[in-house]
Amino acid sequence: MQRWYVRPLVRLIAALLLPAAVPAVITALIWALPGDPAAIICPPEVCSGTEELAKRWNLNDGPVHFFTKWTGDALSGDFGRSWRLQQGAPVAPMLIESIPNTALLVLFSFVPILLGVIGAATRVLPRAADSLLRILGLPPSVIFALAASAVITIKYGSAAFGDEAERVKLVLGALALGLADAALAGAVSGVRGLMESERKQRYVRFGILRGEGVLQNTLPNALPAIIGQLRARVLHLLSGAVIVEVVLQINGLGDLLWGGTLYQDFGVVIAAAFGFAVISAALLITQALVEIGVALHVRRAPKAVAP
Amino acid sequence: MSRVIAGVFAASCLALLVVMGMFAPEHLAQPDLSMAYASPGELPPFGADNRGRPLLEYAQQGAQVVALPAMLGGLVVLLFGTLGGLLACVGSGRVQAAVQGFGEVVGALPRLVVVLVVALLLPQDMRGLTPIALTWALLAAPGAMDEAASVAGRLGGARFVEALRAHGFSRARIYLYHIVALNLRPVVVRQAIETVMQVVFLEIALSYLALSDSQPSFTHNDSVRSWADILYLGYQVILDVETGHALALGLGLVGVVALMSLSVTWAVRAR
Repeated sequence: MQRWYVRPLVRLIAALLLPAAVPAVITALIWALPGDPAAIICPPEVCSGTEELAKRWNLNDGPVHFFTKWTGDALSGDFGRSWRLQQGAPVAPMLIESIPNTALLVLFSFVPILLGVIGAATRVLPRAADSLLRILGLPPSVIFALAASAVITIKYGSAAFGDEAERVKLVLGALALGLADAALAGAVSGVRGLMESERKQRYVRFGILRGEGVLQNTLPNALPAIIGQLRARVLHLLSGAVIVEVVLQINGLGDLLWGGTLYQDFGVVIAAAFGFAVISAALLITQALVEIGVALHVRRAPKAVAP
Repeated sequence: MSRVIAGVFAASCLALLVVMGMFAPEHLAQPDLSMAYASPGELPPFGADNRGRPLLEYAQQGAQVVALPAMLGGLVVLLFGTLGGLLACVGSGRVQAAVQGFGEVVGALPRLVVVLVVALLLPQDMRGLTPIALTWALLAAPGAMDEAASVAGRLGGARFVEALRAHGFSRARIYLYHIVALNLRPVVVRQAIETVMQVVFLEIALSYLALSDSQPSFTHNDSVRSWADILYLGYQVILDVETGHALALGLGLVGVVALMSLSVTWAVRAR
């Protein structure tokens, strides 16, 4: 039987490796592409000074030099410069400007999901609501985002970049993100299934006979799996945030990544992907800590719970 | 709704998608400005775009872009899901730990972030929906494996196989018929068809975002139109352009794909 600490340990190791692994893989792949990386920014047939540019962007000494220099600089808060999107501009201010918007968007969209999960776990949300939520969640995020964008355009027109419009964009974007691609429906049905199967366990029935509450018995064992589901939902939201931010023109991390991808700006893409990797690592650490906390709380290996 | 009706509906939708793709024209028809923004009544069955070209051709080319890559993605998830369920029946702790490790690593990042990095790194001549769909499918695979493994676990895992062996069934029959066909089928087919739907929606999203930035799409070449072009055209209805018919068509196509996914899930559900 697998020891209780294996899963959280695997997660913690993955969390520690992820922020380094993502830029490392992208760097390796940049050099794996046909041609010289410097020639991607400045093709010799259309611009001169490719060698000078390679030297300035640390592209002249191979992938290991580039990666170690980038990582060292990133640890001191310097994420390099944009290659194409805003050529020469430092990426760190772009990250600083975009991360709060993405965080707010994901946080707002997570609220209904969290309420739905609590409702499903406590049976406050009736099972009959699952079908409705499933139908509501069928359209993809791009369709919901377009509907939100239409509302913004009709209501604000040319003033769509004012403070009030920006706030409305965040709220509507969060609504789109929370509903689309079955984000809410999946979270509710997943947690409901998990809790219902846990409720059927014999130890819960004995607990009830002893006069204890259902949640008091089921929650410690189901919590790691619920946290796992919530982590998957947040990743899902972060994924959808790219689409919602671009369609609604919200200046977020996803929008930055999209711009970098579209204009083949590796400087921006590495930094934005690193940002996403750090968030993903934080989520992994949270899940591992909850698993450890639950295991220590019950002072034994947690029971196997359907993931 | 009975399984048969759901199955027939899903098969019809899938056939429609494939047939539309097969008969897609290589290039759009020549513009005919006299038919610009023609309604479905004026130019059946779907009307025309801003230059009088039939939207039917857009729909056909869009189907051609998504049909094969989406089905390939679905097949990959189907195979990985089945593998996950079968491995759970083997009952090896090391194998399960390896599967968990694979899931942790692959599923740790938001999928679209990985897809965008892959799209960025693809050489120009390899760009298309297929590598993106396969990447998406690989990212979706751990979820499918996990769910199939928990179904196999509820079944009894290795003990289920032992019990059936004691009844005299061959291993091939136990694994392929009792485990895969009877028990894993609802889960892996649902996961596969959801991947098909997700790849179609991913294509629409990526193409739409590229269109909104007036840039070429990662998923198809410039001479081909995607379903995102129909939505992009239809969206102009909010600017009082007469493209409501394009919007209806775009949303209709999205709806057909979503309904197909629901119907397949319904048709293959466990008895």
